[in-house]
Amino acid sequence: MTDIPSAPAAGAAWGARPKDALAPTPDRSGTGRAATPRRGPADPVRALMHRHRALCERAVDPLEIAAGLEAHGVTDRTAARFRHRDVFSLAEELYARVPRDTETPSATRELAPEPAGWALWALLPGVVCALAVEGVQLTAGGVRLVAGAVGAAAFVVALTLTLRRGPLRAGPRARPAARLCAAWLMAYAIGGDGLLAEAVRGGPDGGWPLDPAAATGLAFAVAPAMWCAHLFSVQARRKLESSRGLAEFAGRSRPLLLATVALFLVGLTACLAIAQLAYGADAFAAAAALGVLLWLARLLAAHGFAGAATKVLAAAASAELLALAFVFAGRLPGCAALGRPVEAVVRTWGAGALPAAVCGAAALALLARAAAVLARASAHCDQ
Amino acid sequence: MRIGLLTDGGYPYTTGESRLWCDRLVRGLARHEFDIFALSRSAEQEQQGLLALPPHVRQVRTASPWAAPETCHAGRRRAERGYGRRERREFAGHFGRLAGSICTERADGDAFSDGLYGLASLAREHGGLGGELRSETAVRILEAACRAPGANRAVQAARVPDHLAFATLLERALRPLSLDWYGDDALGAVDLCHATSGGRAALPGLLAKRFCGVPLLVTEYGVQLRAQYLANAQLSVPVRALQAAFQRRLAAEVYARAELITPGNTHTRRWQERCGADRAKLRTVYPGMSADRFHAVGEGAYEGEPNTLVWVGRIEPAKDLIALLHAFAEVRKAEPEARLRLIAAPAEGAEAVTYLAHCRALAAQLFPDEAADAHAVGDNPVSFEEIGGPEAPELADAYAAGSVVVLSSVVEGFPISLVEAMFCGRATVSTDTGAVVEVIGGTGLVVPPRNPRALADACVALLRDPERRSRLGAAARARALELFTVEQNLAAFRGIYLELMSHNPVHRENADDSVAPQPFAHPAEAHVPGRWAAPTAARVRSNSPSNGPSWAGGPIAILLQQRLDAAAEGADA
Repeated sequence: MTDIPSAPAAGAAWGARPKDALAPTPDRSGTGRAATPRRGPADPVRALMHRHRALCERAVDPLEIAAGLEAHGVTDRTAARFRHRDVFSLAEELYARVPRDTETPSATRELAPEPAGWALWALLPGVVCALAVEGVQLTAGGVRLVAGAVGAAAFVVALTLTLRRGPLRAGPRARPAARLCAAWLMAYAIGGDGLLAEAVRGGPDGGWPLDPAAATGLAFAVAPAMWCAHLFSVQARRKLESSRGLAEFAGRSRPLLLATVALFLVGLTACLAIAQLAYGADAFAAAAALGVLLWLARLLAAHGFAGAATKVLAAAASAELLALAFVFAGRLPGCAALGRPVEAVVRTWGAGALPAAVCGAAALALLARAAAVLARASAHCDQ
Repeated sequence: MRIGLLTDGGYPYTTGESRLWCDRLVRGLARHEFDIFALSRSAEQEQQGLLALPPHVRQVRTASPWAAPETCHAGRRRAERGYGRRERREFAGHFGRLAGSICTERADGDAFSDGLYGLASLAREHGGLGGELRSETAVRILEAACRAPGANRAVQAARVPDHLAFATLLERALRPLSLDWYGDDALGAVDLCHATSGGRAALPGLLAKRFCGVPLLVTEYGVQLRAQYLANAQLSVPVRALQAAFQRRLAAEVYARAELITPGNTHTRRWQERCGADRAKLRTVYPGMSADRFHAVGEGAYEGEPNTLVWVGRIEPAKDLIALLHAFAEVRKAEPEARLRLIAAPAEGAEAVTYLAHCRALAAQLFPDEAADAHAVGDNPVSFEEIGGPEAPELADAYAAGSVVVLSSVVEGFPISLVEAMFCGRATVSTDTGAVVEVIGGTGLVVPPRNPRALADACVALLRDPERRSRLGAAARARALELFTVEQNLAAFRGIYLELMSHNPVHRENADDSVAPQPFAHPAEAHVPGRWAAPTAARVRSNSPSNGPSWAGGPIAILLQQRLDAAAEGADA
């Protein structure tokens, strides 16, 4: 029960329109005939080539051209008009005839301009910390304790909020253990030296001196930390775009990392120096070493190497904890030998020498690790 | 029989693609048990939840290959700890083969499959493949492969960002390798894997075949590879070359290992043949559609308004309504009484709304409102309506309204609205796109796309000839009922399942006696020593361990082969 004029398989018969259908319009039929030769040059593929030039130039294989042509409505019957068996062979001819556009470099990806709000937010922890220190210094007794607690809580909140955005966002595998260790290291930087000195002297009797300069300086150093991390990621990305190979990128990114560390060290030193001018205290080296250690750990975590950072932070934190524990354990009868090495160190170089040595060693270890892994291209692929 | 249904962004999710078809398949073949293994597309899809599943679906396993790396691996601990030296060396070897085969231009034997299965067994034994694929080692291997002599020219131009981008894409594409689906409680326990699309969905099926010997059936209603080519357009040239090479080789591997491939139409079939599918394995199974709701219209005596053309579909530029309006202008010159009703699903998205507004404006320009006499209120001969509106409350009413159904698309896959018009017994005029010719098969008029005058001629011819209209409509309805019903689709798959099962029994040595015997798990023929049936082409490539007996080419075998071939041809036709 088929109908003869419908027979669609007759590909060549498209031009032969049923004349009777539009009988009263001979003039249009005439224009239609006149239009036909215009569309039938000797090389029919050339027009098609011209129409789909962009598609053909950027295609990487004939199947891609075939897919693109089909998306534009080219079928096997259309291909028959170009004297081809099917779209695939037409695509192959197009692929062979159109020169590949390999010269133009791949369009550099438009990096979405990140919201720059974090750059100013980075000052927030420092401000909060300075206010807290001021509060603690202006109050006394039980109120001071409350002010200290509130200040510490506010500082933790401000720091968390600040680090949540910007270039020091924790990577996919950040762990809570690292945060705990970092918190302990910071606490030690504020009050650890005083406690150790008192402990060696036989104390502490009630309270021990805190170091507001280290706290405020480190808190303000969050700003250069984030700026330097941003600089590092932007520069690394730029080098990534322009490098020819992985080896070249590694060779160029390692000096970049060292330069960034040096830059951060300058910023950190400035922050600490200003804080010390304001509050007047010593133990500069310990705070600087701790700052570099924390920054490197966070930088590694942000690039997905949280494991090494956590381990080193844990080692440094436990070393400081052990030093304190040994001093106190040395008071037990028969265990005096335990506390002696630490006491000797404190008496010879002062209480600040211990955290400086521990944090310095840890920071050097992390620097070595960072120089190895952050020079890899794969560390920067998520950015 | 247990069927492992593999889907990618599809069936059990309420927003999945081709979920209707899969749902009908699962519900229609209720005598089999189904295990569904689904890869989801996005977080939104997972949040929308799963469809209600019939009781013979025994388990549903889902995985989220789009998720951030650390949440999707079963062997997470292992991944963090990293590989030992031996595993790392193995990984480098397998990944090197895979990358080498992707980068070279010429066909290189089994390097791709060796690398793929090597990585899969590594992931199966040690886990943590994802971390290793993202590592510097992988990127370095990739770089070396791109620079090796014999590499594709486009690939040789790759720079560091390209390597990184492709390593990320490859890691994502190979995530099914790290799934825990290949044990005895999952894909190892099914008798047949049915992948509902090519590409990523078929990857678990490949591994199940490799590790557990489960036969693989691949159904493709759209060409996955072609969709991937179109989706790759945003990538840079070297990444696109690498990605295309990977996808092409994966498709070829799937087609080579599948026992049977069922394309949904000839267009898909051509792509599959192009990608290296063996013709003997291809068996076209048309998608089935529910014909019940069109029954009343199809069987009714009402042949529609004699002068009305109807277009039904979703408004989008690919439907080329502009050409339809221009064609209708020509029709009006020949048949001044003619009317055109465009009945659409409600427009969704900004593009559709803009296009609809554009079409309305064009219609208003081309056709002024008309009235019967000087005192009547006129209206436009072209009307835009929505399904569910007062004029066409149901889809069937939309088709019933006119005497001729027009399809003017420039781009079309499987033309569902054409099949629906055929179910309704309406004469059709359609453009020659996609699978239109194959669907209509001589029971309607077909004109070239982007040719309004030819479209107009065909419409006028049908409008002037009611007898031909009814003849074509009846033929179209008969054809559609024969080829495109749900029942034929289910019957085809029922037969294919049984055939594949009986030819490719899964041998399970470790199945203990306490388990109740599974019907069809071991057909009687499986116990005959050697290969009992003729080596049909579908099984020639499968690396069965048993060698053919000496009588494999004997008369019984030839007889059997002839019968099987006849059956295959019958299913094709």
